[in-house]
Amino acid sequence: MEFFRNTSFDFMRLRRVFLGLSTIVVVASLGFIFSRQLNLGIDFAGGTQMIVRFAEPPDVQELRGLLENAGIENASIQSFGTVEDNSVILRTPTAEDGAEESAVRVEEMLQQRFNVGVSGFDLNRQGTEALASLLLEADPDDQRSSGDDIAAREHYRRAAAEVMEHRRNEGLIRDWTEIEPSEALSAAAVAAIRERASFGNFAVLSSDNVLPQIGSELRRKGLLAIGFSLTGILAYIWFRFELRFGIGALVALAHDVAVCLGLFAFAGYEFNLTTVAAFLTVIGYSVNDSVVVFDRVRENLRRNRRESLVEVLNRSLNQTLSRTALTSGTTLLAVGSLFFLGGDVIRGFSFLLLVGVLIGTYSSIYVASPIVLIWESSWGREQREKRATAA
Amino acid sequence: MNGKLLMRGLLVVVVVATCAFWAFPLADSIQLGLDLRGGIHLMLEVLTDDALRAEAQKDVDSLVRELDEQGAPGVAGAVESPIRFRLTGLSADRDELLPGILEETMPSWVFRRNGEDVIFDRRADEVSNIRELAINQALQTIRNRVDEFGVAEPVIQRQGLGSNRLVVQLPGVDDPERVKNLIKNTAFLEFRLAEYPPNGGAAVDTQEILGQYGGTLPDHLEIVAQDQRDSDGNVIGQGYYALEKRPVITGRDLKTARPGLGQFQEPVVNFSLTHEGAGIFEDWTGANIGRPLAIVLDGRVQSAPTIEGRISDSGVIRGNFSQQEVEDLATVLRSGALPAGIEYLEQRSVGPSLGQDSIDQGTRAFAYGIGLVLVAMLVVYRGSGINAMVALVLNFVLVFGVLAYFGASLTLPGIAGLILTIGMAVDANVLVFERIREELHNGRTVKASVVSGFGKAWSSILDANLTTLIAAFFLINFGTGAIRGFAVTLTVGILASVFTAVFNSRLLFDLLLSRPGRVERLSI
Repeated sequence: MEFFRNTSFDFMRLRRVFLGLSTIVVVASLGFIFSRQLNLGIDFAGGTQMIVRFAEPPDVQELRGLLENAGIENASIQSFGTVEDNSVILRTPTAEDGAEESAVRVEEMLQQRFNVGVSGFDLNRQGTEALASLLLEADPDDQRSSGDDIAAREHYRRAAAEVMEHRRNEGLIRDWTEIEPSEALSAAAVAAIRERASFGNFAVLSSDNVLPQIGSELRRKGLLAIGFSLTGILAYIWFRFELRFGIGALVALAHDVAVCLGLFAFAGYEFNLTTVAAFLTVIGYSVNDSVVVFDRVRENLRRNRRESLVEVLNRSLNQTLSRTALTSGTTLLAVGSLFFLGGDVIRGFSFLLLVGVLIGTYSSIYVASPIVLIWESSWGREQREKRATAA
Repeated sequence: MNGKLLMRGLLVVVVVATCAFWAFPLADSIQLGLDLRGGIHLMLEVLTDDALRAEAQKDVDSLVRELDEQGAPGVAGAVESPIRFRLTGLSADRDELLPGILEETMPSWVFRRNGEDVIFDRRADEVSNIRELAINQALQTIRNRVDEFGVAEPVIQRQGLGSNRLVVQLPGVDDPERVKNLIKNTAFLEFRLAEYPPNGGAAVDTQEILGQYGGTLPDHLEIVAQDQRDSDGNVIGQGYYALEKRPVITGRDLKTARPGLGQFQEPVVNFSLTHEGAGIFEDWTGANIGRPLAIVLDGRVQSAPTIEGRISDSGVIRGNFSQQEVEDLATVLRSGALPAGIEYLEQRSVGPSLGQDSIDQGTRAFAYGIGLVLVAMLVVYRGSGINAMVALVLNFVLVFGVLAYFGASLTLPGIAGLILTIGMAVDANVLVFERIREELHNGRTVKASVVSGFGKAWSSILDANLTTLIAAFFLINFGTGAIRGFAVTLTVGILASVFTAVFNSRLLFDLLLSRPGRVERLSI
């Protein structure tokens, strides 16, 4: 199937309209970035981030109030994953007494609210090793009488791992029926666990703490990485193409960066380490698209020196249109499935890729090439020569 | 089929077969990153100033003692900073004693008189030596502790040369708090004589002790607290002891420490002493039968049993411990004390369920992405779409092979990188196919179109992929953990896509065209 066979759209006719449009969008994006600020994640701002799963659907409003009452200020809470996940992601800035403390305080608060009456060993909050110790102390399988505590501990470690395996799928044990005896886990051990342990109503699925000093280091490193990449790409374009194309690609790139960041700020996703990665990829992709068009322009210029630049640009855009559409299309299919199916952990990342591909494609047609024209008509060789003869 | 074609075919087969050999079975060859398999990532800083202060304090004590022996009593020393201490009460005419002592026992200090006082500074080279030593010792100690914990494939390393940061990664560990405490535990163990109370049991407050000594504690004693616990192990109050400052033996004299059961089946730590330590301990316990011996851990009394007889090379540490506590205590005692405190700069822990969710979602996105792209390629390019399909599949064989070979671990952003390369990998194919179509439209023969299509597309393929490679390159260098995973898969994916699109697709076309007779049509 061919979508764009021998097309001859006059892309450049509408260049002023689209350039104007792009300018407005860029200005709006910059406005968003500066007015709303980027939502810096703990990677860059420092602080604590936890994903907590509850046995019952959590009330985000209530949790927010609880955190405030517990003296944890400026916390942000959002639900995480699908509704059935019963999970929230919560973020707190670094407390005065260190990032470690705020995770502890959040857990204490949750403990007081959700685990009233839950006492003893909490299967949803302790880990394998702790459960192994508990079993070793209870010794339901009579392993210690042999006098070899190391072998006994290993025995109970396997049993404990078996229990904790149940948390792998759900993240949370809700019912004793979930824990059944198996080869590694004897009925006596299950009984001992039932006697000594219970399960609370929430589990911490992940917990990250970053001190602000590390955050600012990562921020600096991230900026450096972006700066170096841009410089490297520009150096390459400068080396491979004439100046006017380099300028075109550069402006298109700046446009993409600004608009992507603007949309990102507008959507309110968190800006973190993985986002920087997505960002750099968008940069690479954006230039990639412009470069393919310019490659064709260069080739056409060499072949036919009598055609005007506008004609050559138009022809090259038409010739590469099919490729542009297809590559963007396939990349969008891939990135789209990442965005829709890849989960909340990397939603911001895939969002940036998604809009990056769309905007990169647009800019390779309606930003990069028009800029080459503008550059040529204002500072290009013909103009310089004209000015020289006039003077 | 001519020889050249055969050689190219062989090359592709060899490369793909090698990568397939590395890559399969996937479950064994591809390591999952912490974010997918769950585990703990810690970055910590060794507070080397602690070690310097401790060393300085030791030197101050020995200097004061030495001066006292050489006829200059009443001198006091105070550590002012990790690399400086101040001596007071030494009259200026006794300064001539100092060079000899310094040269003899503490050559790394230089002194200068400052009015009434003398100020000592540690030489810079010695300062960095001590720091370096502390970091290496901390690294070793933490490694020992983690090994005891039985973690598979732990990563414990210094973050860069000359840095005082360590990175610890423990895959599969689901007890973040416990591990953090285990690593951070300085585990400084001392056995010290308790002068008061003289017959076991702690004093209720410090006033009681001070009262015994007429309000001021003698120089050789210090008051150390003990947590009083109820039967469930909750702290319900504090007790106090007056202990001799000088320990009889310390954790350094321990040979082994194991968790065990005491006489009431309560958890205890059994220890044995080194030959040297045992000698000291035997003499000392023999001489102090009937007096209490305090077992002090990190500046808190754990228990203060009365010495009932001469103890030589083994003993028991009791102290209201839970099973978990004795296990951890035995571990840290075996692994040795940390030379300095540590601070956690960054901690990330992912539970297994979140990792499993990420794996599921990542795999699903990957499957849909690759499926959709393949369908699109088949619809658009028909017969040649199969060519692109082969390229895409081989592309992933290559990527997984290279990842497995370098032992790179797959992270969630890494999976995202793979998905992204699906889209970008077909780009090279698209560039070539579009060019071939154009040449066909211009009325060229199939053969000529293929040759010139590949030829003309090459420059675009190169330019387009190089720009992304440049970005990925800086990302690898900048990246920490998961990001690096993304950049690595992206880089490998791009390289592999160029190889498959240029080498392998070309080969497939050439094979098609090498059939006898003239090829009139190409399904593209």
